[in-house]
Amino acid sequence: MAKRSSLIARTISTLIILILLLIAIAVVTKLVGSRPFERTVVEMFIRVMLVAGLYIFVGNSGVISFGHIGFMCLGAYAAAWFTIPPAMKGVSLPGLPSFLAHAQLHFLVSAALAGLLAAIFALIVGRIMMRLSGIAASIATFAMLAVINTVYSNWDSVTGGTGSIVGIPFNTGIWTALGGAILVVIIAYLYQISRSGLALRAGRDEATAAAASGIDIVRERLIAFVISAFTIGVAGALYAHFLGVVNPDAFYLGVTFITLSMLVVGGMNSLSGAVLGVIVISTIIQLLRWLEKGIDLGGTTIAIPNGLQEIAIGLVMIVILMFRPSGLTRNRELVWRYWPFGKGSVNGVAVSKTIENVR
Amino acid sequence: MTAVLQVIFDALSLGSLYALGALGIALIFGVMRLVNFAHGDYISFCVFAMLWPSIDAAAIVFAGNLPTVILIPLILAIGAGLSVLSEILIFRRFRNANPATMMIASFALGFVIKNFLLMLFSSRPKSIDLWSNLSLPVEIAGARIPLLQVITIIITIVILLGLTAFLKRTRFGLEMRAAAENFTMARMLGVKANRVIMLAFAISGMLAAAIGLILATQSGTADIQMGVSVMLVAFIATVIGGLGSLPGAVIAGFLIGGASVLMQVILPLDARPFRDAFVYGAVIACLIWRPQGLFAPKSTKQRV
Amino acid sequence: MSRVKTLALAAAFGTLIAQTAWADDIVVGFATAESGFMQAYDKPAQDAAMIRIDEINKAGGLLGKQIKVVTADTKTDRAEGAKAGLEVLDKGAELVIVSCDYDFGSPAALAAEAAGKVSFFLCAESIKAGIPGVGPHSFSASVLAAVQGATMAEWAYNKRNARNFYRLLDTWTVYNKGICDGFDWQLPHLKDAKLVGSDTFKNEDASIASQISRIKALPQEPDAIMLCTMMPGAVSAVKQIRAAGIKAPIINGSGMDGSYWLSAVPDLSNFYVPVQGSIYGDDPNPAVNAFNKKYKEVTGGDPSSQYVYPGYVLIDVWAKAVERAKTTDADAVVAELEKMKGEQTLFGPRTFTNEIHHQNTGRYLIVETDKGKPHVIDQWTISEPIPVADLLKQ
Repeated sequence: MAKRSSLIARTISTLIILILLLIAIAVVTKLVGSRPFERTVVEMFIRVMLVAGLYIFVGNSGVISFGHIGFMCLGAYAAAWFTIPPAMKGVSLPGLPSFLAHAQLHFLVSAALAGLLAAIFALIVGRIMMRLSGIAASIATFAMLAVINTVYSNWDSVTGGTGSIVGIPFNTGIWTALGGAILVVIIAYLYQISRSGLALRAGRDEATAAAASGIDIVRERLIAFVISAFTIGVAGALYAHFLGVVNPDAFYLGVTFITLSMLVVGGMNSLSGAVLGVIVISTIIQLLRWLEKGIDLGGTTIAIPNGLQEIAIGLVMIVILMFRPSGLTRNRELVWRYWPFGKGSVNGVAVSKTIENVR
Repeated sequence: MTAVLQVIFDALSLGSLYALGALGIALIFGVMRLVNFAHGDYISFCVFAMLWPSIDAAAIVFAGNLPTVILIPLILAIGAGLSVLSEILIFRRFRNANPATMMIASFALGFVIKNFLLMLFSSRPKSIDLWSNLSLPVEIAGARIPLLQVITIIITIVILLGLTAFLKRTRFGLEMRAAAENFTMARMLGVKANRVIMLAFAISGMLAAAIGLILATQSGTADIQMGVSVMLVAFIATVIGGLGSLPGAVIAGFLIGGASVLMQVILPLDARPFRDAFVYGAVIACLIWRPQGLFAPKSTKQRV
Repeated sequence: MSRVKTLALAAAFGTLIAQTAWADDIVVGFATAESGFMQAYDKPAQDAAMIRIDEINKAGGLLGKQIKVVTADTKTDRAEGAKAGLEVLDKGAELVIVSCDYDFGSPAALAAEAAGKVSFFLCAESIKAGIPGVGPHSFSASVLAAVQGATMAEWAYNKRNARNFYRLLDTWTVYNKGICDGFDWQLPHLKDAKLVGSDTFKNEDASIASQISRIKALPQEPDAIMLCTMMPGAVSAVKQIRAAGIKAPIINGSGMDGSYWLSAVPDLSNFYVPVQGSIYGDDPNPAVNAFNKKYKEVTGGDPSSQYVYPGYVLIDVWAKAVERAKTTDADAVVAELEKMKGEQTLFGPRTFTNEIHHQNTGRYLIVETDKGKPHVIDQWTISEPIPVADLLKQ
């Protein structure tokens, strides 16, 4: 269809810029060659997956979801169930059904299954919840997160309860995490230029007009909810393979708020905003942590007191939001308008105007 | 019969705590459409204000040693002061921002306050002995209930009646209600925006201080996480009660408190740790049934 | 000129060698919380460990070499914890000491295990802090939570004639569940002892009124209430229980040790806590009281709870194992540690086997709080150690 391919042509530059940015970060990390630093970057890539996945739902529908980290919990525990050696599972998780207790799958297969589990759960729960709008929907998603957290914290025989379960193989290295981040960014991009994505954004901006034009907002929301649940489930699985231990309290309020903050500070309604938000905030946090450890400058060590990093990042986020209330990217995408995506300044101007209209 | 009465009192006392919290959040939401996630941290701050900063295990009670008649107004003033300060420094600049931005800003503020307290006091909870004679039980119709709980229930009712009178009978109250209904129109009619908002924040801050005092007396500890669980439930209660409706928020607070106590009583032992799952499930059910809240003014029901 | 150059070169080369730390130091790495909420629990034990390290260094060092300490902050964050473990390993640590809590210490311990180094939990009391949860080179310096529950049940049965027990569990952490698991294991071994009721609550609950109502509804007060909980919610729970007029003896886990919280429940009586050593100056072993004084000199404050002591024990047993193995090689040190049976330390005997790198029995001092003043009144060791199989099942 001519319209679709011209839409792709106009917006693909964003996708390419983001992917190149992520690859560049990975390459630089490998060149630096420090193990702790590499782990920081892997964690950042997993956050990119989380925030981009969150964006698929929150950015396109305008509904702030506090519950998506529940899908991360589902995905992480699913990865644990599928990949921990059966001998260890028998001891620590006696209540698992036998097909899980004896399973030991390859971690990529298990990650895909983890995403699928999260997506199926989202489908069931979403059928009920997606008719809600605005703040009622947000509270409902928070209630969903709380239910998941309570169940996982107390169902000792199947999830190990509030204790961590160990034995998850360490498979998430920098290239795996990079692959995951690129995958989620591509999924987010494809969704946002798809018919469903455009319809949902229309519903976000003008609910009455969209409904009058025949858009079934509830259905579109459900699709976005399920897709975002899948990506966050996969992110959860990769996180489990990164840390080696899972614990329900790692998937509750702390992560929820940091991912939402990264999304809003970056720019809630744009994919570039999601990715940039993660990169910028993670960078600032890491810089502050290095300052806490102390930097040697010509013989003297400059260090800020321990604990100041958290206060500083909170203040930084407030300041960023004060000056850029819609986020760093001001809800626009990063685009490259010159060759080969536009034929010069005259066409460039026309192209950029149409891009704004599509937003 | 006494068992039922006991359950009712338990539910009322837990519910009043949640109701006070919901009131604090609903007030600010009413005038600014802002959910103040820092509310829980205001509560903790007010409690720690009674102690001298120290990371030792034992608390150095400082202001907490003042006589009651000075202590209560002092803590209320500190709560109001912190709240108004955050309005002037931070929330004022977000007046026209979208709800997500305001929410994240309030969350970041709460995060800063919490870590600030963490740095000053360390995470080990400190114990304070505040009016412990209030924890002694009082017999009412055969049911035993700590005096503190009775006082909490009475205070909540008094505050509610007082606020209602304030909102309906005074000029300030009228301005606040007008601002909550339609801010722009109210300003055009001569309501001073800053004054109304600051008043809302001040009252909300005082409510946070009151909750802090009650929690400190009840639990005997000052802990940086103490406001979190109350605040979460308060947030939910505000929405279930109907955004923009103060009585709705209060009643929803009591309802959630009641549901929680009821679950604790009737669930079998194995299911009891899952009590919260049932309560939150009920919350979702309630929202599906009435998304605009139980007591929302008719104008907020979505037409499409 | 050339002599100066040679000397300078030699000096530079020398510093280079010294910095790679093969030479005269044994490196011990602390991957613990220096900020965030675990800091309040890790720091005291770490300080005690440092006291032992100083003692060893002053007495000539370990295997003739001085012990050098490197640290990395886990910031009470699991991912950061794993990084902290990697950092101290990169700095050459032979022993990685991790956080007091299994959940927060395990990432760093797993990193140490992957590198084939010995890891030691500062004061973790979960069975997972060791072989089942990390690997064959991992140990814990404290005593299992289950032992605390079992000890208090047996002591109350024997010394206070308790027959009817009530069990109140705070479902917040594995530590709490561990105490109650030990209690559950012990109760059937006590003839005529009965469980008259059981209930749960959450640490953060503002009010446990309904749980208390259940206790009051019993035909008569239980002979002992087993309270499996920890700070901060524990204070509120105890306050509410006593305020409701329930005067029954309350038996606890070690998490309730400490006098810093007693001002919140004035005149508390009939309250019993098991401890590895007394911080109140009345330990039957005078060396413990001397240690308390030393701790106060070094850190400026009295020990806040008995969780300071496992830090000291950690360095003590590890150093002994290194001396016996005559090397810091992980496998050799582990072999020596596993030979320890009833090894005397300042705070009770320690036994490690190749099945369990934790303590499934222990000598506990019983501290009674009477009218708000805690003091040691007795000593108890459970009559049989809790079998490893039972511990793992839970």
